[in-house]
Amino acid sequence: MARAVFSSPNAAAAANILVNFAVLHIATWSRKSQFNSALIASRESLKMEPLAVTLLPGEERVIDKDIMYICPFSGPVKGKVFITNYRLYFKSDPSVTLNVPLGAIGRVEKMGGASSRGENSYGLDITCKDMRNLRFALKQEGHSRRDIFDILFRYAFPLSHGLLLFAYLSQEKYEENGWSVYKPMEEFRRQGLPTDKWRITFINDNYELCDTYPTILVVPFKATEEDLRKVSTFRSRGRIPVLSWIHRENQAVICRCSQPLVGMSGKRNKDDERYLDVIREANGTAKLTIYDARPSVNAVANKATGGGYEGDDTYQNAELVFLDIHNIHVMRESLKKLKDIVYPNVEESHWLSSLESTHWLEHIKLVLSGAIQVADKISGGNSVVVHCSDGWDRTAQLTSLAMLMLDSHYRTLRGFQVLLEKEWISFGHKFASRIGHGDKNHADQDRSPIFVQFIDCVWQMTKQFPTAFEFNERLLMTILDHLFSCRFGTFLYNCESARDTNEVRSKTVSLWSLVNSDSTSYLNPFYTPESSRVLYPVASMRHLELWVTYYIRWNPRIRQQQQSPVEQRYMELLALRDEYLKKLEELQLTDSSPNSSHLSNSSASNAASPTQHINHLHTPF
Amino acid sequence: MEFSEHIKTANVEDVVLRRPFHPPMQGTLCVTGHHLLFSNRDGDSSRLVLLLLRNIDAIEKRPSVSSGTITLKCKDLCVLQLDIPGMEECLNIARSIEYLSSLDIVSDMYPFFYRPLKLSLQDQWGLSSPEQNYAQMEELQDRWRLSHVNKDYSVCPSYPPAVIVPHSIDDETLVKVAKFRQGGRFPVLCYYHRKNGMVIMRSSQPLTGANRKRCREDELLLQAVIDGSGLGYIIDTRSNQQAQQARMTGGGFESKSSYSCWKRLHRQLERGKVLQESLIKLVEACGDHSHSVDRWLSKLENSKWLSHVHTALATAGLLAECVERDGHSVLVHGSEGTDATLLVSSLAQLILDPNTRTLDGFLGLLEREWLLAGHPFQHRCAHSAYSHARLRLEAPVFVLLLDCVWQLARQFPLAMGFSEPLLLRLAREVYASDYGTFLCNSDQERCAAGVKERTHCLFQFLLKPSEREHYSNPLYEPTELAIWPSIQPQSLQLWRGLFLRWTQHAVHLEKAQEELRNLVIECRGAS
Repeated sequence: MARAVFSSPNAAAAANILVNFAVLHIATWSRKSQFNSALIASRESLKMEPLAVTLLPGEERVIDKDIMYICPFSGPVKGKVFITNYRLYFKSDPSVTLNVPLGAIGRVEKMGGASSRGENSYGLDITCKDMRNLRFALKQEGHSRRDIFDILFRYAFPLSHGLLLFAYLSQEKYEENGWSVYKPMEEFRRQGLPTDKWRITFINDNYELCDTYPTILVVPFKATEEDLRKVSTFRSRGRIPVLSWIHRENQAVICRCSQPLVGMSGKRNKDDERYLDVIREANGTAKLTIYDARPSVNAVANKATGGGYEGDDTYQNAELVFLDIHNIHVMRESLKKLKDIVYPNVEESHWLSSLESTHWLEHIKLVLSGAIQVADKISGGNSVVVHCSDGWDRTAQLTSLAMLMLDSHYRTLRGFQVLLEKEWISFGHKFASRIGHGDKNHADQDRSPIFVQFIDCVWQMTKQFPTAFEFNERLLMTILDHLFSCRFGTFLYNCESARDTNEVRSKTVSLWSLVNSDSTSYLNPFYTPESSRVLYPVASMRHLELWVTYYIRWNPRIRQQQQSPVEQRYMELLALRDEYLKKLEELQLTDSSPNSSHLSNSSASNAASPTQHINHLHTPF
Repeated sequence: MEFSEHIKTANVEDVVLRRPFHPPMQGTLCVTGHHLLFSNRDGDSSRLVLLLLRNIDAIEKRPSVSSGTITLKCKDLCVLQLDIPGMEECLNIARSIEYLSSLDIVSDMYPFFYRPLKLSLQDQWGLSSPEQNYAQMEELQDRWRLSHVNKDYSVCPSYPPAVIVPHSIDDETLVKVAKFRQGGRFPVLCYYHRKNGMVIMRSSQPLTGANRKRCREDELLLQAVIDGSGLGYIIDTRSNQQAQQARMTGGGFESKSSYSCWKRLHRQLERGKVLQESLIKLVEACGDHSHSVDRWLSKLENSKWLSHVHTALATAGLLAECVERDGHSVLVHGSEGTDATLLVSSLAQLILDPNTRTLDGFLGLLEREWLLAGHPFQHRCAHSAYSHARLRLEAPVFVLLLDCVWQLARQFPLAMGFSEPLLLRLAREVYASDYGTFLCNSDQERCAAGVKERTHCLFQFLLKPSEREHYSNPLYEPTELAIWPSIQPQSLQLWRGLFLRWTQHAVHLEKAQEELRNLVIECRGAS
């Protein structure tokens, strides 16, 4: 089958710039002539059929079309596709529906040509970022796919066409304002900061020290603003070591940063050396442990491009440990391989060895065991510094997972949001580059599923500690769905400075608005808070599982198993119990016996949240 | 028998015991006829570790000049180590263990000596008799009868004294059919599907031999099974080729020409040595703690254990489908009809019949389909995965069944009335037990050895109120529907609770499961 590849797989760098500036300059796209036919078509269709799905406020229909969906599980199905500025929706008569946010689309290709032979050989081939592909077939006569292709291409990649991301068009309103979930000062105060050893600095208020860091930073009390400036010259992109988390009792800290700019010549920087020693001193740690997330070979290789690592001879009171976690390119290829063996059909004959050959679980293992080492060091009272190359991918994985192990606050529904806002969003994980929001360059080498991998690690932890997390699997799936969807501003842009420029917080809705306005749907009924417990998950291949309900969820056979019957049954029991307790209370009003008061006391501790409506676990778009 | 003549050294002081999850412990080791007893007195508190000698699968000794180390690899997959001062003591103890852990005579075994205060030998042995089973199923009684043709075990030594057969087939015919089936295992009813009156029959292979011998009575019996419904399926648990080859040694299969109303389906299930070796490889992979190159998933795949689980569930699913969806009766057999046959027929019943999914129902199923149906437990479970002894008749068919049931329970966490601890307990008891339930190879042997009079019944014990709670599934919600398992490879998982039970890390998972359980029980208690 001949495929005409439409998009050009280059211009990666240009795309980044586009991401940042496109929204400021809304192109007058309606004047562009090549899209007129599409527009007319869409206006006509608006008169025709009512849409079976409720549109979001701000969502508008663009085009409808009769089409054939080549379902990999049940074969070709005739139906109608509706495209809005937010989603692709397909409905066919018996029951096949597709509801795909355009943000999840990574690539749109034309399949076959006007003269292609064979049934259903002419149409569209859509590659999604969420582990599925979609194929549609159209009639060959009259360039029938041209309008839909053009529209899809524009709306799926708005930034490449001077359009706004849907998050800027959405008119959604929620009771809760998700943007108020994370307030850096509040979070640092919760951790007990500042102390006599650690101070809060506003040196980065205008993003001058480091343009990919947040404005509020916590640094050693002893380090002056001048010291910070000097250190920033020796750290890649100015990402100096700053405090992420402090242990309340032993005052051991997790600091994060980027690699030192050692280079081929083995440059030294006295200020950097002194700065790390100040971090060590702060709680009397004998030897500061520096966790370099990379394999040592890669760290050495980085010297060639001006980077490097902290040598033993120069940083005398520090020990350096390499954690052997591979880079974004390796992770991208690994997940691609995983997709190959699970979509559309699961590789059956040699499932386990195929799974092994993707190395996905092995990477998960390395990330988790790295985080365990960090958490363990901290529990033992030793401060650590974590970095990789730039300190925004592997570093974020390690610090946030270690914090999840150490601090039960982050295991609550709100606390987890704070963790993501803090370690990932505010510290400049390059969401825009890694996901490629609204950008057509699907082959961009900057894309990588680092955040997906992190959420997988969290899922592994929730599996191993089913009672330790306040949130459920549905939250993790929802987060991943909206990582791509572009419906919320939460995961847009690479760093805080870009978010400020683009007024994300005033012009878009936060994902946490959706979540916190309906928080009962995201609660784990089995949650039993244990504030002081440090969780050490088992990072052995024997105890890691493939997250089947996420990676293979498009397979209808897996979908049947998706919703956790145990959870649901327990919720029913909880509801039953609450009903019973209510009745008991009513009885108590008339007759107060000592026994019944005892019972109602015990209920107070665990009167979690009986939900009357237990939704099926499909992801709401 | 005097056990004492095999115990040269009965007591050793200052022995160090090392076992998973516990710090090394120093104390006194004592060998008795059936146990290793390890006690340590630490100030006021004394701790006691009791190990049933029968549980020991393999023993490795490393004597040195003044002391020795004995490694005990148990059938429940636990590995223990004893450091014993004194070379002679060490060797004596090793010899005692070697001898006493593999006693051959049934009446020497521990269940005949186990006399706990809370149980009485007068208690009922077993859950139900064939007569009671038959009496309970009124709806089948007009077409099926209970035959006592085997009342003295003369027609089929591995069958119970009473079996259910078509009404129209008299005992005389059964005797002739038995001669045409290996081991006398003529086709008998093992499940009646209430919804449509279809049945599952099981038997051993027909002895057609190289000359394609026929047996009129056998054909009559099978004809009587499908009387009216026109067509039946035969699920042969061997490949077509294996079935063909079986003719060379006197066995065979039901040919199309002689059994025109029966359609044969071949599904190859591994048994015997292949299965045992698979278990050995699996346990080896689970115990391999080399961290160099983690090829765990490949090793897991190479052990083929999960593919045996897959085949067993797939075949059971096929059988259940024939009965429930196609509405046909099915005869299932392989060669002897005492291993894969029972595996498939009992799994199919779990899929189809909600009554077998309760705690009582499941134990009842095991009693009917494994104990009374003559699975040779003593042969199959003489040794487990660690033994270096040459394999003879060992095969972990029953463990495979438990694993498949675990997979079902994992996929349908509300549908089973029993819990994972029950399956784990059974997996342990089948190899080494205080109870007589899994002794011997057939009902006949158990009667002859006096098992039912002189030992306690495990199943009765598990159903006592004190135990019942622990072995029940608090989330159980009965469903009348068939439960169709997914057999996609990613739906089948390693049974960590069994195979990784002794790795350091399973502990917190177990705790979490216990926590969940308590939460649910607490919640139920309140409502």
